[in-house]
Amino acid sequence: MIRHIKLAGLIAALLVILLPSFTLAQDVNFSVFPAEVHIDSLPPGEAAEFELSIHNKEEIAHNFTIAAFQPPEEERREERVEFPDDSWISFSSQEIEVAANSEANVTVTVAIPREQKWVGEDWETWLGVTVESSDLLAVKLYVRLLVSSNPTVEGRFNAGLIAGIVVGIILLGYGGYCYFRRKARPE
Amino acid sequence: MKAVITSIVIAIILALIFSLPALAQESGIITITMTGVNEISISLDKTQWPLGEVAADTECMTSPPIEWCTLTVEGNCNVNTFIVGEDAEWVDNAEYKWTLSNDGANGENVYGLWFRISGDTTRGPLGDGYVPITKTQGEFWPYSGGSGSSLAPGNTKQFGLKLLTPTYFVGGRQMQTQITISAVTA
Repeated sequence: MIRHIKLAGLIAALLVILLPSFTLAQDVNFSVFPAEVHIDSLPPGEAAEFELSIHNKEEIAHNFTIAAFQPPEEERREERVEFPDDSWISFSSQEIEVAANSEANVTVTVAIPREQKWVGEDWETWLGVTVESSDLLAVKLYVRLLVSSNPTVEGRFNAGLIAGIVVGIILLGYGGYCYFRRKARPE
Repeated sequence: MKAVITSIVIAIILALIFSLPALAQESGIITITMTGVNEISISLDKTQWPLGEVAADTECMTSPPIEWCTLTVEGNCNVNTFIVGEDAEWVDNAEYKWTLSNDGANGENVYGLWFRISGDTTRGPLGDGYVPITKTQGEFWPYSGGSGSSLAPGNTKQFGLKLLTPTYFVGGRQMQTQITISAVTA
């Protein structure tokens, strides 16, 4: 009886960890272009777009995911600060299937809210591209995204300025009309 | 009538004089620079480590211990590399997991993971070249305090892994985890 208990204990001790045990190993080989993107003079309230190209160098299709990542301070470029909000970055698709030996593009849009506090900043964030895999070892490639905001808040369609100009024209026109009318009036 | 027209024309001219500089500012150029033709890529010649059955509180090492896997820089830019791990999950029910230790030590349902790069003999908390892999992304190569520099295209780094199983865990369950090695332009 005691021998049986010992045997059961031994079996329980030999516990299982089978880190992925597929017999057909699929190495993952892919690249991302460009490796670094600089966006300069982006005015708060505006957006900038660029394309990331993912090249699947394998003989089978793979699914890739793209997400923003906040790098630790010591990994950022000099004088770059943390990107304030990942939600300012959007992707045409956060998951994309790339066929064997093919490339696919993902459009990345960076939009800064129209607020005075975001002017004149130099930020850095990373965009991580990962291939979906159940293997023990996975590869992630980061694209450095360096964004500098404009020193002033601007907008392509400044409604306030346009309205001000219209009002100014009306007031100046009316003032001028009154002036000339008074001047032309016989004394 | 002549006065009205003259007034409006003068008003428009004056308004334009003051507004043009402001309008001109609104057509500011947003510059997007894709640095050179940099393409980033690294490859690993091994991605699996089937361990089979393991006992509690046991150390398992890859074979060979420190030249098990080769990382190669495939792109055309220098890179810094990082490593991060995660909890191991039971493949049948992810609710059961082994928590990845934050210092390489093990415990009840807590496991440790370590890596060692070939040539590193004194790195790590024990000074034996082994560095814990945690759930926080850490430096792979180069690393703070080391003399190495970023990896250039064509450079390779060989490394091995070490697993320290939990002191206690539920047996007969297939566990799965993932270690991610990442790269960014130097």
